[in-house]
Amino acid sequence: MPATDYQASFLGRISLRRNQVIAMDGNHEQEDLELFSKHVSERFTELLSPPDDVVFDTLLSISWLRKLLDVFLCCEAEFKAVLMMGDDDHPFQISKPPLDRLIHEFLDRSIKALDLCNAVTNGLDSVRHYQKLAEIAASALGQKPIGDGQARRSRKALNSLLMAMSVDDKECSAVKTTERSWSFSRLAVNKDRSPGHLRQVAKKWSAAKQIQAMTWNLVPPRGAEGSGLASPVYTMSVIMVFVMWALAAAIPCQERNGLSATYFPVRKQWSWDQSITGLHEKIAEEWKEKEKKGAAGLLSEVQKMEKLVRNLMEFTDSFQFHGGTDEKAEEAADHAAELAEICKRMEEGLLPLQMKIKEVFHRIVRSRAEFLQALKQGGKSSAPPV
Amino acid sequence: MDGCQSTIPTSEGDLHVVAAAHHIVKALGATKNLSDDLRKILIDLDAHLSMITSNTDSKGGKGFVDVEERLKQSERKILSWESDPRMIWDSGPRDASGYLEAVDEIQTLVDGLQGLSVHENRKQKELIHRAMSVLQMAMSRLEEELIHILVQHRQQLDPKSITSRSTQRDVVYDESFVSVEDEPTEETSSRNCSGDEIGECIVDLIHADVIPDIKSIAKVMFTSNYCPEFCEAFIGVQKEALEQYFAILDTEKLSIVDVLKLEWTSMSSKMNKWTWSVKIIVLVYLVSEKRLCDQLLGDFGSVSSFCFLEISKATILCFLNFGEAVAMGPHQPEKLLRLLDMYETLADLLRDIDTLFSEEAAAFRVAISSNGSLYPFPGGGVHPLNKYVMNYIRMFPEYCNTLNLLLKNQHVDVADQVIEPDNGTNLSLSTSCPMACHLRSIISSLESNLLRKSQLYRNEALQHIFLMNNIHYMVQKVKGSELRLFFGDEWIRKHNGKFQQHAKNYERATWSSVICFLKDDNPGSSSFSKQTFKERCKGFSIAFEEVYKTQTSWSIPDPQLREDLRISTSLKVALAYRTFLGRNPAHIENKCVKLTVEHVEKLLLDLFEGSPRSLRNSHRW
Repeated sequence: MPATDYQASFLGRISLRRNQVIAMDGNHEQEDLELFSKHVSERFTELLSPPDDVVFDTLLSISWLRKLLDVFLCCEAEFKAVLMMGDDDHPFQISKPPLDRLIHEFLDRSIKALDLCNAVTNGLDSVRHYQKLAEIAASALGQKPIGDGQARRSRKALNSLLMAMSVDDKECSAVKTTERSWSFSRLAVNKDRSPGHLRQVAKKWSAAKQIQAMTWNLVPPRGAEGSGLASPVYTMSVIMVFVMWALAAAIPCQERNGLSATYFPVRKQWSWDQSITGLHEKIAEEWKEKEKKGAAGLLSEVQKMEKLVRNLMEFTDSFQFHGGTDEKAEEAADHAAELAEICKRMEEGLLPLQMKIKEVFHRIVRSRAEFLQALKQGGKSSAPPV
Repeated sequence: MDGCQSTIPTSEGDLHVVAAAHHIVKALGATKNLSDDLRKILIDLDAHLSMITSNTDSKGGKGFVDVEERLKQSERKILSWESDPRMIWDSGPRDASGYLEAVDEIQTLVDGLQGLSVHENRKQKELIHRAMSVLQMAMSRLEEELIHILVQHRQQLDPKSITSRSTQRDVVYDESFVSVEDEPTEETSSRNCSGDEIGECIVDLIHADVIPDIKSIAKVMFTSNYCPEFCEAFIGVQKEALEQYFAILDTEKLSIVDVLKLEWTSMSSKMNKWTWSVKIIVLVYLVSEKRLCDQLLGDFGSVSSFCFLEISKATILCFLNFGEAVAMGPHQPEKLLRLLDMYETLADLLRDIDTLFSEEAAAFRVAISSNGSLYPFPGGGVHPLNKYVMNYIRMFPEYCNTLNLLLKNQHVDVADQVIEPDNGTNLSLSTSCPMACHLRSIISSLESNLLRKSQLYRNEALQHIFLMNNIHYMVQKVKGSELRLFFGDEWIRKHNGKFQQHAKNYERATWSSVICFLKDDNPGSSSFSKQTFKERCKGFSIAFEEVYKTQTSWSIPDPQLREDLRISTSLKVALAYRTFLGRNPAHIENKCVKLTVEHVEKLLLDLFEGSPRSLRNSHRW
């Protein structure tokens, strides 16, 4: 190796300040960083428009969420490559300050994200419960002609469904509703599956607070730091926070008061900022709208379901007392069909979504272990693992 | 009867067929020895046929008079209960069966009416709607009754009555692994970490007397296509019961963030608590729940397992989540066994464990290799790490099947693997099963680790003593447990050889320099000169004293090994000394000869005592 080259890489090895790295090594990494940013930006821009197969006017549908999680997994894989590959040229780069502190903070956030994954998984259980009740309601009204018995059967299921949605929405995490008054029941026992103690992540746990905690210390890297590995760490952190936030907004999970207030510290400097910020704003807007009406999560399917349920409730109520006109009956049958369609979507989409979340969970766990290993090898003097 | 789609017979021939069938049915119905099911079928068939004939007789409203009358009767009965505040099933078996009969009747009528012609008849429609309406009312009521029965006759399970003594032990588990593990009365039950026996135990979650009642309700609801409602209600109540029971066990749910913050003692006691909870819930509650579901819903195919899964899902996920959180923390071997216990219990019920566990086993190996130290272990005895590891893996054979299942996909890099001819024993016990390979690889890591540790000693002899001790310990542990089946004779032989080699190396390293004072340079000459003798003697004494001082503080924990080494050394050294003295009889009286052969022999027996001595203090002196 010619002397100058050797000297260059030698200097590269001992240099701590990224932008003093000379020639080949520095450029290589810079390229990777730029590519990473570019990919993130592209992927999130794509997410701004809903998937083709979706007919909802809101963003957070089951298939959109699946896409979002796929994007997360892609970005995460690239992120890890960028960080760890830097290691080949400059061994144990990530265990040196200030990067080691940033990575520890990042890992700290990952753990919080894991709890959120669990909370969302629990929430999906609720959604599946809605589906079951909706199926009963829809099929009862699906038979023509609609008789009194079917209307009542449907109404019962619809009633339970609305109750379940409102309970999940308020999500009084520690309170289990045991008493409920049924107008036609002798029972004092709660027969609906309200979120009990097992469905919580932990006592007094709050999804909103957890996400808020994830944004602590999340500041864009400044100056010289900004052009090094600190920036992908920041980018990935923002992505992680956003994904968790979107999931928590969509799916009923424990304690979401204050979710809309999550502050996203982004700098408009990079292209990917804009796409993520755009998404964030769109979702936050939807959230504010729904907050007034009180809804169990922003999941499009659930939103639609709720609307249909209310329509059908109206119908069954009036049917009980006034009998049904053919017109109304037609309308109801249509709504019932739509409801059945939503149930079908849920039936097809919820399980894959759940598995995707599990995949994300395990990826985060694995990556965390790898990072911890790399940090440990890098320097015994590093801070102890989280 | 389900699926009975009869059309109105239009031809005379058809009418004859119907009449003939009707006749046969009536004749069969008169038979005395009919089973209930058969009787019911005949009654249904009779009703259908009546309807067909009556309808053909008079196309119009009159044909349904009979049907309407029957509907009215059952309707009356069902409606009468609507305004009644009492629960039907509390009122007694006659009321209950009466009600069910009425519901049954309505269902039959509905079936019959729906199975009738395509001719849209206003009366027919009216009757169908009326019947469906009553049916719905009945189903709704049955749902309430079901819930009432399930709640009313729930059996209380007292957790304490299941285990013999309280399990609120905060004993730090790992201590027992290090300190007195060589006692024969070490563990009473190696499977149950917290020391309490919880075996599988099926109890009645609902009083056995009401099971038939619930079954009959189920049957009626299922027949009427109200299966979803039944399941919803049943699952809801049972889930709630399970959650309440879980609350009684007082096991706190923690977020992952919280779990990772726990100190070891806290974590240890929580793991104890959780393991105990898992056992009680899984081995007692859930198996009982499964049996209940089978009892109630076994006739309805997959509904039984569906309901069971829905009821138990949240709880099982809860346990798995906790296990995952614990496994994510710093990798300590101590955790592994308890996690294993928890997972094993769950596995029996579900046969479907998260692959997280197999990662944990790999991590265990890493934990061993990375257990480093800066200072050599004093005395050269058996290193605690060795003890930990050996005591841990001693438990592995119990989990053999689970481990083999989990590990079979893992590629294990085995340095020391010895292929042993399969002598026809169970494959899972052979030395080539995945678990065995894994164990050998664990031991391999352990050995390398110990080797590294030995190099921290500056004294070469001590290095050998250390390695001898530790390898001997490993061999003893393997030989003395089921592990020997997995490691095989070849491995044992090889490692026997290893520690014996170390013993030899020790002797060479220590004593050759001492003994060389006693050696005869010129085999020819009979004795040394006085001068030489003096030098030699002195040299030997000093060297011997040095060794004595140092090596009495070394330790060989195993009494047999200690004895063997002492004797072996003694033979060598004492023999050399005797020969030396024997060759120079003239100088024996010289005062430089401070030691007699007997002395030397005796002193050598002080070696490896574990506490340092000097010759001056030795009372034998």
